[in-house]
Amino acid sequence: MNLGLRFLDAASTTAADLVLANDTDVESIAGTLDGVSSIALEFPKWVDGRAYSQARLLRSRYRFRGEIRATGEVVADMVPLLVRTGFDAVVLRIGEDRSVAERALSFFPDGYYQADVGEPLPRFRRADSGRDDLR
Amino acid sequence: MYRYNDFDRTFVHQRAAQFRDQLGRRLVGSLGEEEFRALRLQNGWYVQRHAPMLRVAVPYGELHSRQLRALARIAREFDGKAGGPYEERGGGFGHFTTRQNCQFNWIALEDAADVMDLLADVDMHGIQTSGNCIRNITSDCFAGVAADETVDPRPYCEILRQWSTLHPEFAFLPRKFKIAVSGADEDRAATAWHDIGLQLKKNDQGDVGFEVRVGGGMGRTPIVGTVIRDFLPWREILVFIEAVVRVYNRYGRRDNIYKARIKILVKAEGQKFIDAVEAEFQNILERDVDGLAHLVTDAELARVSAGFGLPEGVAAVDVEGDHAPCSKPAAYQRWLERNVHAHRLPGYRAVTLSLKRAGQPPGDASAEQMELAAELAERFSASELRVSHDQNLVLPWVRASALPALWQAAREAGFATPNIGLLTDMIACPGGDLCALANARSIPIAAALTERFADLDELHDIGDIDLHISGCINSCGHHHSGHIGILGVDKDGMEWYQVSLGGADGSTLSGASVAGKVIGPSFAADEVADVIEAVIETYRGQRTSASERFIQTVRRIGLPPFKAAADAVRGTTAVHA
Repeated sequence: MNLGLRFLDAASTTAADLVLANDTDVESIAGTLDGVSSIALEFPKWVDGRAYSQARLLRSRYRFRGEIRATGEVVADMVPLLVRTGFDAVVLRIGEDRSVAERALSFFPDGYYQADVGEPLPRFRRADSGRDDLR
Repeated sequence: MYRYNDFDRTFVHQRAAQFRDQLGRRLVGSLGEEEFRALRLQNGWYVQRHAPMLRVAVPYGELHSRQLRALARIAREFDGKAGGPYEERGGGFGHFTTRQNCQFNWIALEDAADVMDLLADVDMHGIQTSGNCIRNITSDCFAGVAADETVDPRPYCEILRQWSTLHPEFAFLPRKFKIAVSGADEDRAATAWHDIGLQLKKNDQGDVGFEVRVGGGMGRTPIVGTVIRDFLPWREILVFIEAVVRVYNRYGRRDNIYKARIKILVKAEGQKFIDAVEAEFQNILERDVDGLAHLVTDAELARVSAGFGLPEGVAAVDVEGDHAPCSKPAAYQRWLERNVHAHRLPGYRAVTLSLKRAGQPPGDASAEQMELAAELAERFSASELRVSHDQNLVLPWVRASALPALWQAAREAGFATPNIGLLTDMIACPGGDLCALANARSIPIAAALTERFADLDELHDIGDIDLHISGCINSCGHHHSGHIGILGVDKDGMEWYQVSLGGADGSTLSGASVAGKVIGPSFAADEVADVIEAVIETYRGQRTSASERFIQTVRRIGLPPFKAAADAVRGTTAVHA
C-alpha cells in the first residue's frame, strides 16, 4: 500500500466517519468498517504512541483502505512514523510548520530496515537489499 | 564483527543529518524544548545536572579499535573542549555503562550534530540509547569467544538491532524497553533483569531457539522476568518480540511513570498477558498482510553471521604457548587468575582490561586511556574489544603465548589491576556528581571503597563478590542485584545510603536472580566504608572455609549478623538506628 500524506486544515475539514480514542481496541470495531471511509485516531500527547499500533492493525490486519487521519497533538517530526504505520492524512497541531513535516519525510530516501504499511517486506527480503555485502 | 554495508552506513549518516536538522531548529528556537527533548533522547542526548550528556550505542558491546579511537577523539576534542562552555569542568573522558554503552558528560549541545557525524564515520550512533523506545541490545561480553557458549548471540543481536532501529510503531512506548541476549551457560548479561531476556539454546534435534523471559526490571519495583516461552524457534524471534512490544504499547500503563514498565503489566495481568502475547503472535502470522515477512531467513542469518567469523589472523593453535607462569611474579599469577578468561579457541584467551582503579570512577577512561586500549587491541586482539556489563573493556582474541607481553603493556597503561570479580571491580553509576536524576553521589562512595580495599591480598582473600552502587532508585548501578547493594537516597536535601545484601544477577555464583534485602535505616556517606568493612569482616569471621564465598555465607546465615555488625559501626546515624 503506497500512501501519500494529505495535510488537512483543522478549520475546514469535516469530521471523520469514525473517531477512535487511543485506548479503543480496534478489534471491537473491525467488524463494522463497511461503509466507513475515514477514521480519525487521536494523539492526546504526541509522545503517546498507542495510535500507531491502531493504524498499523487497521491497515495490515483489517485491510482498511479508507482514510486514517492523525489528530490531536500531532507535531511535524512525527510524520515519518505516521506514514509508516498507515496514516494517510494529518491535522497538524496549530503552529506546526508543514514544510518541516514535509522535510521530515525526506531524510531516509533509501528506506528502513523493517517492513511497514507502505513497504510490506523487511529489507532482508527486498530484491534491492544489496546482497553485494556478502561478497 | 558485523560488517556495515552501504545501506547501514548511509543510514547512520542519514540519521545524523536528521538530527542536525532537529538540533538546528532547536537552536534557532523554532522547535520547542519539550518537542526537542523526545527527539534528542532517541539520539542519546540527555540534559544533565550541569551539561548535556551523550550516550553512544555500542551494540552488544562490540567495538573495533577504530571506533574506540573515534570515541577517544570525541573525548579529547569535544568533552570539556578548550574554549567551550564546560572547559573548566575538565572532561576529556568517556564512561562505560552496564548496558555496554559509552557516555560523555561535557559536550556542548551546539557541537552535538558534528559529534554524530564523527560517530557515523565509524559506523556508530546514539540511536535509541534513551527515550521510551527499544534500547540498545546488550549481550555477553564474551559472546563468540566464551568456552561455555552454546550459540553465538551476536548475529541474533544484530538482526534484532536492525529490526528495532527506527521501528515506526514502537518509538513512543509507555517507557523504556531493554533487551539482553545470552548464548552461554553463564549469564553475563543479567538477562532476567531486562524487559525481554533471551537465552539462546539448542533442542535435542540441534535446532536453535530462544528461552524468552519478559518483565524483568529494577527501579522502585525490582522484578525478575518471567519465562513465557521455553523454546522459540530462532526464525520467529522478530515476530514474537513484535507481539510482546505491541501488547505492551497498547496496554502498558501511561498514567504513572513508576508503573509504566512492562514488568508492571506482566505482574498485574499474569497469565492473561502471556495469552495476549500468544494470541497476537498467532494473529500476526495468520492474519496480517505482511505477517510472515519478518520470519528470519537462512540467507539473512548467513549474511549477518558472515561478519562474525574468526577475525583475520586468528586461528586455533595447538601450542598453549610459552607463557611459563612459574617464572613470573605473583602479580602476574594474580592477573592470570582474575583478568584472563577461558576461550573456545585452543591457544586463545579473553582478557579483561580493568577500568576499576584508584583515582578514577568505575568505568571511566580518558581519551589517552581509550587510545591505549585501542592500541592493545590492535597489537593483541585483532583490533577488537568488548565493553562488559561490569563496566570494563575486554580483549577477546588474545594468543595465550602473548599473555606475558600483554600483561606488561596493560600494566604500563594502567589496565592490569588484578581485581576482576573482586570487591573493587564494582559497578557504579555516575551518580549525583553528574546525573540530574541522582539523589546522592556514587563516585565518592566508590572512591572510598576502592581506597579502603586497596590491599590486594585482602581483596583476593575476600574473593568473588558483586558490589553495586546506584545514586538513585532508577538503579543504573544495579544495586538490587549486588551481593552488596548501595543505594543513594535523599532525605531533607542530604545524601544517605541504603545498604542491601543478598542480591543476585543470575550468574552461577550468585544464584537465581533476586533483589537484595535492605539491612536497616540508611547510613551517612562517611559511614559507608566502615559499614562495608564491618559486613566483610562478618563474612570472613563466619565463613566455613576460605572457599565459601560472601553470597553463600549471606544465604547460609541470613542478614541479622551483618546488620548487627553494620549497626555497631554507625556514627552519625547511631541515634536513628
